[in-house]
Amino acid sequence: MIHNTKCECGHQNPVGTVLCENCGKPLEDEANTAPLEMRYDGVARRSQRENPSIIDRVWRFFSSVKVAIYLIGITTGLSALGTIYPQENTFLGIDPATHYAENYGVLGEWYYRLGFTDTFGTWWFKLLLIMIGASLVICSLDRVLPLYRALSKQQVRKHLSFLTRQRVVYRGELPSDRYMSGSEASGIQLVTDLTPLLKKKGYKVHTDGSALLAEKHRFSRWGPYINHIGLIIFLLALLFRGLPGWYMDQYIGFVEGEPVAIPDTPYYLKNESFTVQYYTEKELPTEFRGQGRMVPKLYETKAVLYECTADCGMSGVEPVLKEVTQHDIQVNKPLNYRGLLAYQFDYRETPQIRAIRVYLTDHKTEERYGPIELSTTNPKEQFDVGSFELILKDYYPEFDLNENGTPYTKSRSPLAPAYIFLMHGPGLPADGEIYIYFAREIDKQRFSQDKLNGQLAERFEIGASSMDDVSISQYTSYLNIRVDRVLPYLFAGGILFIIGVVMGVYWQHRRIWLRIDEGKEITIGAHTNKNWFGIRKELADVLQKAGIRIDQKQLDNGGNRK
Amino acid sequence: MLRYKKTIQVVILLAVVVISAFTLISGLFNKNGNPDIGDKAPDFTLRELGGDESSLSDYMGKVVIVNFWGTYCPPCVREMPLIQSYYEQYKEKGVVVLAVNENDPLVSIKAFIRQYKLTFPILLDKDTVRKQYGVTEYPTTFILDTKGKIAYKQVGEINESFIRGALTKLVKQ
Repeated sequence: MIHNTKCECGHQNPVGTVLCENCGKPLEDEANTAPLEMRYDGVARRSQRENPSIIDRVWRFFSSVKVAIYLIGITTGLSALGTIYPQENTFLGIDPATHYAENYGVLGEWYYRLGFTDTFGTWWFKLLLIMIGASLVICSLDRVLPLYRALSKQQVRKHLSFLTRQRVVYRGELPSDRYMSGSEASGIQLVTDLTPLLKKKGYKVHTDGSALLAEKHRFSRWGPYINHIGLIIFLLALLFRGLPGWYMDQYIGFVEGEPVAIPDTPYYLKNESFTVQYYTEKELPTEFRGQGRMVPKLYETKAVLYECTADCGMSGVEPVLKEVTQHDIQVNKPLNYRGLLAYQFDYRETPQIRAIRVYLTDHKTEERYGPIELSTTNPKEQFDVGSFELILKDYYPEFDLNENGTPYTKSRSPLAPAYIFLMHGPGLPADGEIYIYFAREIDKQRFSQDKLNGQLAERFEIGASSMDDVSISQYTSYLNIRVDRVLPYLFAGGILFIIGVVMGVYWQHRRIWLRIDEGKEITIGAHTNKNWFGIRKELADVLQKAGIRIDQKQLDNGGNRK
Repeated sequence: MLRYKKTIQVVILLAVVVISAFTLISGLFNKNGNPDIGDKAPDFTLRELGGDESSLSDYMGKVVIVNFWGTYCPPCVREMPLIQSYYEQYKEKGVVVLAVNENDPLVSIKAFIRQYKLTFPILLDKDTVRKQYGVTEYPTTFILDTKGKIAYKQVGEINESFIRGALTKLVKQ
């Protein structure tokens, strides 16, 4: 059965139109006097077809606001579930595969298997965000295009029932004290008189003889669509964070003097020196003095950033570094190089020897040879000192003896460096003799270096000549290294969102239709998207100035009381 | 406007599908990044103590024992003689040991090799491959089958029954 959509005014409307695009006459439900459904000005929103294709079906699904609300509700609920157990990223160095099962039992095991231990990172959560994004795009497009069409080509003279079924209505006679009743010219005169009154209130007025359309603040209707665009940009930016190189947030310790690699980047950072300063007694407020309180005043890391140009990332090979920038990093004053940020976070006192310059003294000849430089991280293996040759056979960063009395190293940190040399030279046996050297005086005593070296200890002495020969790192500075390339886009999306919200909330789209029939009947219908009280007040004000004494309450024609 | 509606619809839905597929794939393939039993072992290239570069893929077709260790780790030191003896036994049968050392001074590694008479390759890593394999404790041992899949994984010191059981099962193939 073919539905007739031709209006009595002669205009052919698309199938699904509620109010005639031309004159506004309701195409269905003609006998009713209830307020009209004014959504999208009654324009057909979707093409209704008999056999919707897959594309139509999917589109229709995503264009439903109900579906969108369900999606948001599900996402919120699942996010809440993510708060039950601490997320993976709150720990350092645990193995999530075992940690949750061990600490929380079966529930923990399933919590991990389903992905809740990294709720925001799971594929299903991201998929929900993508669906919300799709819904945002499709809901908006589906509505904004028909709305734009409807609002762009509005007719001034609308059907009478369009006016009388608005939620703000006035029906009355031309005020006889000012206008001659019954004459067409009076109608036109009233329209002409009302025009400047309406313009003063900010309306754009269009007239058509004895009919009038006053409209203001149409732009506020676009607010929601602008804020949706902002949200879409925001969501897309969040998804982009998952791309490699776009996001990093790690904490790395930097020992003074050593360039340390920053993982996942070609950069190395060297902590030249770290300073911590405390407030003096005088600088403290009076209540704090005399308590022996140490209140830090300054944490500062003098940092140099390098870029690795060759031989990066392989142990045993020194990377080739090029200095790119340097900065004195203080709390909240980070180093910033091309989006890589290094913030001062923490520090530890980790006194350790970085390198030591030593001399070899031969008491037989009272000659002193050297110096040679011994590194505590990766020492060289062969040294020529005077007429002697020192071959490094073994090296222990943190020397100790186990229960069998065999040497081993407790850790990788040079906290008790011990060098085992094989010495060759005049007065020594052909295949050399072992000489053990402890860099720290205290270890020399602890492990009785002289006793270990036996006869050799009486003849030879290895040591630094002064404290200047010893490079010491006093501190390890912990820096928070961050990269977040999506931030500008998040800001852009956020600002657009706020603009859209402000547009939609602080202004309302108001329209007033007026027609004078047969020179005496005034019919006014008005519509707004929100704040009905406001438009009634405004209209009442205009009418009073035109000589029609009327209260805003009398204009109310049902619908919600707002 | 309506004429182009079909095209716009298709374009938007296609974009949604592509982004979703991308998210799904990177999500499912990147699960924690911790290779475990059953996963394909990630390929890597490191320098050997001798100076040559060695890739895991060079050994495809052999049973590979990848052991993460350091001289500062007592259980690593304890298990080395065990690994060396089984390496000698199974070398001819196509078993390779790649001992990935983390951050030791070269001197200490060389002394260690001499002391324990190790004959398998020592690869030098600076936390790169360690992170690839999700290793947080030493020692950690992965035993790969001839197809490059992780067949066994052990965090902590391995014992004789572990290595014997693994090798007898895998080398039969």
